[in-house]
Amino acid sequence: MSNIIDNKKVTTGDDDLKYVVLCRKGDTEAFAVLVERHQKKMLNIAYRILGDYDEACDVMQEAFLAAYKSINKFKAEARFSTWLYRIVINFTKNRLKQRQNLARHESVSRDESTDGKGGCTACLSAASTDNPAELLEQREREEHVQQCITALDVEYREVLVMRDIQGFSYEEIRDILQIPDGTVKSRLSRARVALKDCLVKVIGDL
Amino acid sequence: MKNCKDIVNSLPLYAENLLSAEEKRAVEEHLAECSHCSKALADLKKATAMTQGLTEVEPPPWFKQKIMARVREEAEKKSFAQKWFYPLRIKIPVQIMATIVIAVLAVYIYRSGDEQMKAVLPIVPQPVMETKQEPIPTEMPKAKKSAPAPLAEKKAVAIGEVKKDKTSEEVSFGGSAPKMGMQENKLAGASDKSLATKSDLAAEKEEKKYSELKVLQEAPPRYSARRENIREQSEEDSSLIGAAQKSKSFKAAAPAAPRPMAASLAAPLQTTVSVYVADVNSAVVETEKILTKYKAKKVTKQLIDGKAILQAELPAKNLKDVLLQLRNLGRVEEKNMPADIGKQDITVVVEIKNQ
Repeated sequence: MSNIIDNKKVTTGDDDLKYVVLCRKGDTEAFAVLVERHQKKMLNIAYRILGDYDEACDVMQEAFLAAYKSINKFKAEARFSTWLYRIVINFTKNRLKQRQNLARHESVSRDESTDGKGGCTACLSAASTDNPAELLEQREREEHVQQCITALDVEYREVLVMRDIQGFSYEEIRDILQIPDGTVKSRLSRARVALKDCLVKVIGDL
Repeated sequence: MKNCKDIVNSLPLYAENLLSAEEKRAVEEHLAECSHCSKALADLKKATAMTQGLTEVEPPPWFKQKIMARVREEAEKKSFAQKWFYPLRIKIPVQIMATIVIAVLAVYIYRSGDEQMKAVLPIVPQPVMETKQEPIPTEMPKAKKSAPAPLAEKKAVAIGEVKKDKTSEEVSFGGSAPKMGMQENKLAGASDKSLATKSDLAAEKEEKKYSELKVLQEAPPRYSARRENIREQSEEDSSLIGAAQKSKSFKAAAPAAPRPMAASLAAPLQTTVSVYVADVNSAVVETEKILTKYKAKKVTKQLIDGKAILQAELPAKNLKDVLLQLRNLGRVEEKNMPADIGKQDITVVVEIKNQ
């Protein structure tokens, strides 16, 4: 599904631009359109990196507000979505740092891989299956995956989330994170291997 | 031959078909021999599939509204800031200009306001006027002094005071002598009616003569000053003086001591005209002709060191015409021109001088 969105975006070009222009002229409703378009994807990125739904929502609000404030700084060199996702990633990373600092201050080592505390099972989209047992199994599995993702280092986490969960292309990831192509690939490889190892440990036989 | 660790690390790229042909072949050769790495590849594919298959979370229903509320709040702040401070290249010069304009206006208004204040408040220059009028008070006490003394006398003659006041008003405004006499006769009661009348008439005549002389001799400004003083005084004052004068004349029944105030009061309206001519004698003849032409009465003539003074009583309505005619003779200067000329006669003093 994410791949379809990705392809669609590439073929249609950046139709966010006209809303950006309207927004600069003071049309707040144009920004509402942009929020509507990107909120889900942005929220999922933040949620998968942070592993906490409420925190992800919080970060999202801040990110959107920051984007609105600095919309005049956006130069059409890159796609608007790229610029927007960069903001979200940066805000998410900042939040992680704050969380780590807080944990250090409180002298309580917070195990990020502990079972999905901030998980939002209710927020998850309805599963494709109607079988409650299978649904339960799927949820359990997803929780394990999330645990393993949040156990990764941040730089691995972000590429994994963008590539494997959100289906971004390597170029997009490169543009968003502003790192070389090779770095994206190597980080992603390590992230996948680490995730696999983690899952094997947690679940046992995949 | 690569070891298992290297192969496992390159498995993700292999799975994505991102390896070069050589690397790919090497991995495939290793996978064919190493079951551990084959399982790793299988696990990797499964794990990636699991990750990709993660269910997407939905944003909460209030999410967009909440964001937009904050955005609109920010927009208001932004627009306010834009309104007042952006773009700076336009706003700053405009603000500077506005400040300058306001400052200039403020100074201008302050100054013009100052002038208006001077015009509105005449209290400020008053002390200056008082100092200018300094010579006048030397005459003022005369009038004031003359009033209280007769007041005492008036008290003595307390009988019929109200009536006296009435008559005194007539006197002060040029009431005729016989009438005055009659009034006094009434007040005098039975005592020596004829004597009183006679003496009064005599006193009145004396008064008139005195006033005429005074008019001739006195410098006009002094006269006018006195007249102004008298006008400024209330009617009460003038009536008191009149009453005093009358009671005095009634009591004395003889040519009384000089009464300058009374004289000036009783004097008719008077104006002084100076005419500067080349030939005084011919001008005197011409002036006499003009005066007689305009029904002048009591024309008197005096020649004092090269200047001629003509005095005459003119009907007030003819004054303007006489002045016009006099202008034909030479340069005319008018002094003490009365503001309101009534229907009564006016005394005109024409001074004819050499240029």
